Amino acid sequence: MREVISSLTFRYIAKYLLVLSATVFLVMAGLYLLFSYNYFRQLSASIVEEQQTLELVYRGQGLAGVSQYINDQRETQLLDRFHYLVSDQAGNKVAGDLPEGTSYQEFERGWLGFELALLKWGESVEVDFIARGQDLGGGYRAIIARSFEQAVYQGRLVLATLVRTMVVTILLGLIGGYFAAARSLQRVEWLGREMGRIFRGNPSQRLDAEREKGQVRELAQIMNKMLDQTESLMHGVRSVSDNIAHDLRTPLSRMRNQLSQLHQDLPAGGREDVQQLIADCDSLLTSFNAVLRISTLESGSRYAGATEVDLRQLLEDVVELYEPVAQECGVELQLASLPAASCRGEADLLFQMFANVLDNAIKYTPDGGAVRVELVPTTVDGAPGHRVTIADTGPGISAEHWEDVFRRFYRVEPSRSSQPGHGLGLSMAQAIAHYHGGKVDLQDNNPGLRVLITLP
Amino acid sequence: MNVLLVEDDEGVARFICSELERAGVACIHCVDGDEAFTTARDQAFDVWIVDRMLPSRDGLSLIQDLRESGNETPALILSALGEVDDRVQGLRSGADDYLVKPFAMEELLARLQVLSRRAASSGDGSTRLQVGDLVMDLLRQEVSRQGQPLPLQPREYKLLEYLMRHAGQVVTRAMLLEHVWGYNFDPQTNVIDVHVSRLRQKIDRGFDVPLLLTVRGAGYRLGPESD
Repeated sequence: MREVISSLTFRYIAKYLLVLSATVFLVMAGLYLLFSYNYFRQLSASIVEEQQTLELVYRGQGLAGVSQYINDQRETQLLDRFHYLVSDQAGNKVAGDLPEGTSYQEFERGWLGFELALLKWGESVEVDFIARGQDLGGGYRAIIARSFEQAVYQGRLVLATLVRTMVVTILLGLIGGYFAAARSLQRVEWLGREMGRIFRGNPSQRLDAEREKGQVRELAQIMNKMLDQTESLMHGVRSVSDNIAHDLRTPLSRMRNQLSQLHQDLPAGGREDVQQLIADCDSLLTSFNAVLRISTLESGSRYAGATEVDLRQLLEDVVELYEPVAQECGVELQLASLPAASCRGEADLLFQMFANVLDNAIKYTPDGGAVRVELVPTTVDGAPGHRVTIADTGPGISAEHWEDVFRRFYRVEPSRSSQPGHGLGLSMAQAIAHYHGGKVDLQDNNPGLRVLITLP
Repeated sequence: MNVLLVEDDEGVARFICSELERAGVACIHCVDGDEAFTTARDQAFDVWIVDRMLPSRDGLSLIQDLRESGNETPALILSALGEVDDRVQGLRSGADDYLVKPFAMEELLARLQVLSRRAASSGDGSTRLQVGDLVMDLLRQEVSRQGQPLPLQPREYKLLEYLMRHAGQVVTRAMLLEHVWGYNFDPQTNVIDVHVSRLRQKIDRGFDVPLLLTVRGAGYRLGPESD
């Protein structure tokens, strides 16, 4: 609710409604003013005309004629007619139908205004009048009044209509705006959620632009194009390094073979340098092979086979393989008692993944430290899975580098790069985990690093 | 040793042949599958080295066809395709070993020797392995040198058994991982070296003649005979 109200669409619609209401109000007010102005002009003009008539009647027939005229008027015109009051010098009423002693509000140029209770349809109603006084001559004074009740009535009608219309418009507008905003918010949220999913997960997925309409569809299409571009750039960078690795592998291994031949042909004394060259070639080849392996894993689809791998056995084998290395480094390798567990996958790859992580853990744990391997059941997206934890007591990796260490050739700190390795171990472990539908996470082991490998 | 090399890339073939000949292995080279089929059918070889991609008949069907005709000569596939599926497919076609290109020459030589020896010793029902004064009793799972019993861990025993079965041959680290541990993977560090040096401590310490030798740049060889 609050999200919808604070959304851009809703705020936009609310502002629009406000401006619209103000405009309508101003237009109506203007019309009303124009109407009243005209009405009063006509009203006052008719009063002035009537004054002239009355003056003519007085001149011709005197006070009796005026009295007669007023009575005639009263009988012929029932509604919305003129009202009269003729008084003598002393202020006593001599003719007319208006009561004496009414308090007048005086305006300029002889205009007066007053309120009077009139009987209308048997009810006493307060009616507003506009009037003008005039000297008839002979000390007689006449006031001619006419009610502007109709103008007031029409004004009230206009105002009431205006208020009701506004209230209904604003109410309907807000309700409509709420739903429109909720809908547009849904679209924006959908875009955000989908984009997040794509960036976190598989970057080759796309938004389903066809199910949308209008601008959201255009936006989705543009985002899809951007994703295409990002992917092709990523792919480009990757394929460059893959191509380098691939193209250099063959000549490099030929060189290595020739060096090794040279090594055999040389007298015993000169072999050391060649030995080092061969070792360097081997290390480069290992690195190239790892890069190509990672690329193949990342570019291909996920594991689709049905081979069940005994995870417990596999972990025991990895630990057994690395046990002597750990002993040499003075690191205690602890294997928690493992529950029976199996997962679908390629044993060689899974072995490689655990070996890489364990290798790192042992490598970075100082003499006297410990590396602990655990296997616990867990759930992956609601389905049962396994979590393998390999925790060391080494220097660890600060949280800011946790994302980076999965990048190829990334080495964290100088202290870490003093160790042999290619900076590919964790990248490969992650590629293998992803290939099996799992993931690799890092945690602080206080001290040390804890690598969590989750497999479905 | 007498080897048939089926490889369509002239450059690679020339290189492999010359390297094999330097190592004392006689090498006959065929360029395409059909030619190789006739040659392999008509002549006896210790090992066939077959490239997977070949003109006219690919490596896998070549081996399959030869196996169907009853020829059991060990075959090693050379291929640029190194995924597990590719290996499995290769081995299912009747090949005995699978080496991914590019490879170190030592690796190829070591594997060739193992293949030719395996063929020669298959059907050997012996319950005892002996290399020099080192003796392994396969039934009792006991090892002794000069009559002195050597206590070994199960994995050390397996490692030694593999080395003894291929005594005198160079055994690479990849081969040990594959056959002793049962996994095909690239260790980041030389974990195998630590295992081998532990085994060496047990079988060579206190004896005059070292049996377990490191072959630089290649792997290991269990003596006593040199080359």
